[in-house]
Amino acid sequence: MGNFDTNSSLAIIILAALIHASFQASVSVLTLLSGHALGKKTAHTRLLRLTGGFIGGVGVMSLLLLSGMAFVLSQLYPTSTPLTFWAASCGALGGVGISVWLFYYREKRGTSLWLPRSLADYLNARSKATKQAAEAFGLGLTSVLSELLFVFAPVLITALVLIRLDPELQLLGLLLYTGISLLPLLIVGALIGGGHTLAQIQRWRESNKQFLQFAAGTALLVLGVYVYVDRVIITGINGLGVR
Amino acid sequence: MALAIDVVKRSGRRPTESFDADKLLRSIRAACLSVRSPEGEAESTAAAVTNAVILWVESKPAVTSHDLRRLAGAHLERYHPEAAYFYQQHRAII
Repeated sequence: MGNFDTNSSLAIIILAALIHASFQASVSVLTLLSGHALGKKTAHTRLLRLTGGFIGGVGVMSLLLLSGMAFVLSQLYPTSTPLTFWAASCGALGGVGISVWLFYYREKRGTSLWLPRSLADYLNARSKATKQAAEAFGLGLTSVLSELLFVFAPVLITALVLIRLDPELQLLGLLLYTGISLLPLLIVGALIGGGHTLAQIQRWRESNKQFLQFAAGTALLVLGVYVYVDRVIITGINGLGVR
Repeated sequence: MALAIDVVKRSGRRPTESFDADKLLRSIRAACLSVRSPEGEAESTAAAVTNAVILWVESKPAVTSHDLRRLAGAHLERYHPEAAYFYQQHRAII
């Protein structure tokens, strides 16, 4: 695979990871988890263990989702990915992008997400009941799954790109995606560990939610168009066959 | 401390329960501690807000949990705006 292809693939992975990072369910659960822990006068080291466990859970689930999806796709398409599948995946990116624009946040105060209220209440109740790092780890796993409807699009496109990379680059891509998608949680975790108040964090999230929503939706559409041009149109024009 | 006042729960699906001043006090204190208020300040703020809410509910046979939260949030705003913000946002974080 040529240098341009590698750069293009890494660019797609990075943009997809940034889109994943902009989704807010895990950040919301981390805010709730920290709020409940602080409200119960939890010691600082224990609070750090809880946030660490939670972020670890989110990271492991993101890694599992991506590697699982890549494995399934590599079994389905061991030598090349059909253009129609690339095109359908780009359509999924566009559809999810428009969905993010339309209903990612609920139209009320705060940062209420599109999640069914019963699921949101469940995550809230679990974050309140969590006392051990292992429970926080499980909560992290669950919070990624709760947002699967939106997360699957960037994960799918990243998996499609990953399976056509050299093995060492596949590992790099996997770690790059997971690392970037965890950035907001790492930042919020560092802010909480550094003594910032949750009200400050939540205020920032609330005042920037429309920008985040617009940016995530737009980025999904841009990624869909870019991948369509790069993997469907150019491949078709060059007549190089399907990569 | 449970007064003989019914609290109608959010959305009306869960059963009504008696007004529990201790429960309110604990939730206000937790909101204060969540924004890293010192423990003594959290205790005194929670007591002041709870007393203000008790004065309001005493004359009523029943209140909604939404009203309790709104009123407690409004009183908390006077003592600790940051805690009040977090308290009022609690159900709108996710």
